Amino acid sequence: MELTFGSAATKIIGSTGFSSLTLGDGTMILVACVLLYLAIWKKFEPLLLLPIGFGCLLANLPLSMMASTDSGGLLNFFYQGVKHEILPPLVFLGVGALTDFGPLLANPSTLLLGAAAQIGVYTTLVGAVFLGFDLKEASAIGIIGGADGPTSIFIASKLAPHLLAPIAVAAYSYMSLVPLIQPPIMRWLTTAEERKIKMEQLKPISQTVKIIFPIVVTIVCCLMLPGVTPLLGMLMLGNLFRESGVTARLHETAETHLINIVTILLALAVGSSMTADSFLRLETIKIIILGLLAFCMATAGGVIFAKIMSKLSGGKINPLIGSAGVSAVPMAARVSQRVGAEEDQTNFLLMHAMGPNVAGVIGSAVAAGVFISLFGDPTGGSTHAEVATNLISTMSASLK
Amino acid sequence: MDSMVITSLTVSLIAILVIFTVLVILIYTIKLLVHFIPYEEPPTQKSTSAALPKTSPSSVSPDIISAITAVMATHLGKSPQEFHINQINPK
Repeated sequence: MELTFGSAATKIIGSTGFSSLTLGDGTMILVACVLLYLAIWKKFEPLLLLPIGFGCLLANLPLSMMASTDSGGLLNFFYQGVKHEILPPLVFLGVGALTDFGPLLANPSTLLLGAAAQIGVYTTLVGAVFLGFDLKEASAIGIIGGADGPTSIFIASKLAPHLLAPIAVAAYSYMSLVPLIQPPIMRWLTTAEERKIKMEQLKPISQTVKIIFPIVVTIVCCLMLPGVTPLLGMLMLGNLFRESGVTARLHETAETHLINIVTILLALAVGSSMTADSFLRLETIKIIILGLLAFCMATAGGVIFAKIMSKLSGGKINPLIGSAGVSAVPMAARVSQRVGAEEDQTNFLLMHAMGPNVAGVIGSAVAAGVFISLFGDPTGGSTHAEVATNLISTMSASLK
Repeated sequence: MDSMVITSLTVSLIAILVIFTVLVILIYTIKLLVHFIPYEEPPTQKSTSAALPKTSPSSVSPDIISAITAVMATHLGKSPQEFHINQINPK
């Protein structure tokens, strides 16, 4: 093959990314740079936004074959972990290993605050339907209100994979903004007297109870909502590693190296799905707006429910802990502590807020389970509800 | 569109009911567990405090102090108002 200087130069120029760079690619590279800026200089969830931003950058470099849709590309392999629902449950394994359910066990009624904060999920679901999304898409968008990144990714990949990128970015961006979003709502919905309420000291919990708890939750929740088993099962396994005391090495691995490795893979995979085709759409703007609504409503739902519990308990519960019912562990609990300390420096709400905070993780996983039961496709063709209906009709037919 | 909104409201209502049902079951399960398996005080250990470098709490962030206070309060079974952290000895 003969190459003249001119043809060689033309061929090299033609093989560079510049020759294929589109306006969409350029815009997405800019978006990636904004995410990197927010992660590095503004410290917004840097552990997630940095790899997501860099994944987005790689995916939008033309001819690099790094988008999640580029079959055979490196990040396409990582993306299989999202597509086949492997990575989010592994993150939950690490989260379980990191989580102390002690404050929740000491004050189990705070589980209700984890449920109340899911109001954000459902108001957003209705809002999304109003804006023209179908029910599956609206469910995937609504779960942003659970303030739980892995759950959002898990549900989006199951119910609306085409919306995965904007949902993941909205979820993680707003999670990083929890210290900015929540305090004004918390102050607006509570009085100074309510914010000063000092809660009773939590009772210590037996280690045996801490060991039995993850097993019981797995049995109860996964029997009621089988679709949530990958998430909740892994969360509880991680917690059992922690509490059993006989798997120190597994516990250490799950809470450090494993969760770090999986976070890198997951965040890069999510970033690689942020291509111009999937991201630069009107739906993205709608999802960003709905995500904010989800977080605001979740916070308000938790605080209002905590106010009701406070009244019913004769002022024994500080309503500020309600906002921690959104997952975002432990950031939301820290926000409750900070807003409480603004009124009274000697008021220590952190441990009390950790109860609803970890309850929020269970609550959002259960909310996800409900969506999977209603709209999911766990058996390669039928939803759990359909499987159950078919099973019942088969059983009744055989009984006849 | 209207029927979709009504469906979404129905889904929301059912989902909230399911979530509260599941979590109420968990609450009572926890209460049963805590009732039948009460906390037992661990055997007290001799204090082995060595001479460690001391750090004034004022040089530590309020977040860390509140976290330590909360954990200490849980460990000691006392209210955070019943004790005061004077110094923090880093590892």
